[in-house]
Amino acid sequence: MRAYTEGLVLALISLFALWGAWQVPAPSPGDTWAGIVPFSAALALLALSGVMLLGATRQTAGDTGNDQDSGATLQIIGLFIIALVYQQSFRWFGYLLPTAIAAPVVLSIFGVRSRIGLALSVVLCPLIFHLIFFVLLGVFPPYGEVFDLLSWIQG
Amino acid sequence: MEIFPALLSVITDPTLLFAIVLAAVVGMVVGATPGLTASAAIAMLLPITFYMSPIFALAFLYVIGKSGRYGGSIAAILFNTPGTAASAATQIDGYPLARAGKAGKAMKVATISSIIGDLMGDILLVIGVGFIAAIALKLGPPETFAIYFAAFVVIGSVIGNSIVKGLASALLGILIAMVGLDPISSEERYTFGSFDLSNGVGLVPLMIGVFVLGEVFAQLDTRRKATDETEENESTEDGNSLTWEEYKPCLPHALRGGFIGAGIGVLPGLGSAIAAFISYGEGKRRAKNAEMWGKGALEGVAAPEAANNAVSGPSMAPLLTLGIPGSTIGAILLGVFLIHGIQVGPTLFLTDKELVYKLFACGMLGILAYGLIGYFGATQVARLILKIPTNVLYPLIFLTAFVAAYSARGSMFDVTVMTFAGFAGWLMRKYDFNVAAFVISFVLAKGAEETFRQSLLMSEGGAMIFVERPIALAFIIVGLAALAFRIRGIVKERRIARGGLEDA
Repeated sequence: MRAYTEGLVLALISLFALWGAWQVPAPSPGDTWAGIVPFSAALALLALSGVMLLGATRQTAGDTGNDQDSGATLQIIGLFIIALVYQQSFRWFGYLLPTAIAAPVVLSIFGVRSRIGLALSVVLCPLIFHLIFFVLLGVFPPYGEVFDLLSWIQG
Repeated sequence: MEIFPALLSVITDPTLLFAIVLAAVVGMVVGATPGLTASAAIAMLLPITFYMSPIFALAFLYVIGKSGRYGGSIAAILFNTPGTAASAATQIDGYPLARAGKAGKAMKVATISSIIGDLMGDILLVIGVGFIAAIALKLGPPETFAIYFAAFVVIGSVIGNSIVKGLASALLGILIAMVGLDPISSEERYTFGSFDLSNGVGLVPLMIGVFVLGEVFAQLDTRRKATDETEENESTEDGNSLTWEEYKPCLPHALRGGFIGAGIGVLPGLGSAIAAFISYGEGKRRAKNAEMWGKGALEGVAAPEAANNAVSGPSMAPLLTLGIPGSTIGAILLGVFLIHGIQVGPTLFLTDKELVYKLFACGMLGILAYGLIGYFGATQVARLILKIPTNVLYPLIFLTAFVAAYSARGSMFDVTVMTFAGFAGWLMRKYDFNVAAFVISFVLAKGAEETFRQSLLMSEGGAMIFVERPIALAFIIVGLAALAFRIRGIVKERRIARGGLEDA
């Protein structure tokens, strides 16, 4: 089952890539087509997905996984969703506030249960990262469009 | 001869020396921490190098890579958990030695052999790189494309368990690299009207995503499955010291391992794990005490360790002379060159020769630095690693990945790319796709496309140019032969396995 899924996903990706390459306009006379490499790569990927699907039909039994695997996968998908929300929050609230919220959440996902530790992370994580990257290295911090804690602190 | 003034220049520069020693320590700790890799550490530190001088940045990351390779042996010998894939071969004899109370002795053999192998690799690199660059200057676009082709096929097919998945990973890397404006005609490809996508997918966020965030996701998976605690094996009084009489039989294995590692290092994509296992197998085949190998032979530590570390220097040769990274660390170092506007390829030896030799000098001093720290303090490093709370470490790495991706160009789009790349990196690991092939192909794709289309223009549209030119044809044959050998090897393994099952 897993081999079928992998082959099908690859086939879908390659079909999408083929369609994308096909959208590239034709070359001007004497030039080479800008879509030639993506088109060739997508075609080769489609061929490989065919090989994978063919291999899947020969397999008699697939591995089904277990509860532990699906539990870990759910936890990772959860962390990925947190990552997506966290990076999007930079645009809305700048760096400090999202980091102050994300730090204890991620620490607790990884098993930190100390309340003092989690509380400290709310202050220390944004402070230390801010000092290293935005003060010492001089990177311009992302500005929060809705509310920016740094601007508020700086008055 | 350029290496001697370069060595003198580095020795007299206290900031560079500090960077080398710091990198040696960081690399060793990272390499020895199970689950953390030198690639992840280098990818995470990559954006910081924007704010450093090119030589400082390159030396720092290059030495982390070298020291990280060695650091893997600490975890392999002392904790029975290889810190890197390459140190799995060291574990075979290293851990039984540690169990017998000879952890200190095994670590000293690993350290000396690593120094021998790494120095051999670097010396061969210094001698050979100029010749390779001179030849590379004479190659035309069809020959260069043929080399790229061979690299894609070797990287895709040789590393990992599945050829199909390896090649698919390489093709996915190529497709992702195609996003953005075509550098020749400025036509948009896979941009779907997005301005952010028209600038393409950045190397730095992709690396941080795949190697750093992807690793954090993978660790979450591993932590759920892990059941036992890691314990350090203590040395007895006698098991901590190493005499010349004890190391003497190891020396031929270390020297042979050095040559094996250096030879494999030049070939793009093969990497130190393959070198270590070949050296171990070859050492065991030639050993007088072959029956002891696997039960705690010091020679069984020396052979893979020398080969593993000897890969480091020569793997820089295809990167510096052709712009083809031979390893993931090479691919990240290519990013540093690009960040600082240095064009990698045969002309590098005309434009930035001094920088290249200074980098080699830093590498050699880095070997001495990790050698000294490792010889006298490997067990202390191991104790330090046991004290690192991983449940705090990985969340901190998670948070660092975001700010590091943002710092590279101050772009929020890069942070988004990094997040998706992280998830994709974890998916690739979970489903046994080849992350290294994906990243290296992403890096190679632009150069390969450029040379491919230049060749087509030279031949007015005909692909026969790659067959008509002998050097190009030879490299294409090399690529296809590597693929054929790999298929043959897998078929043979399956036949043996099937035979074994039938016998049972």
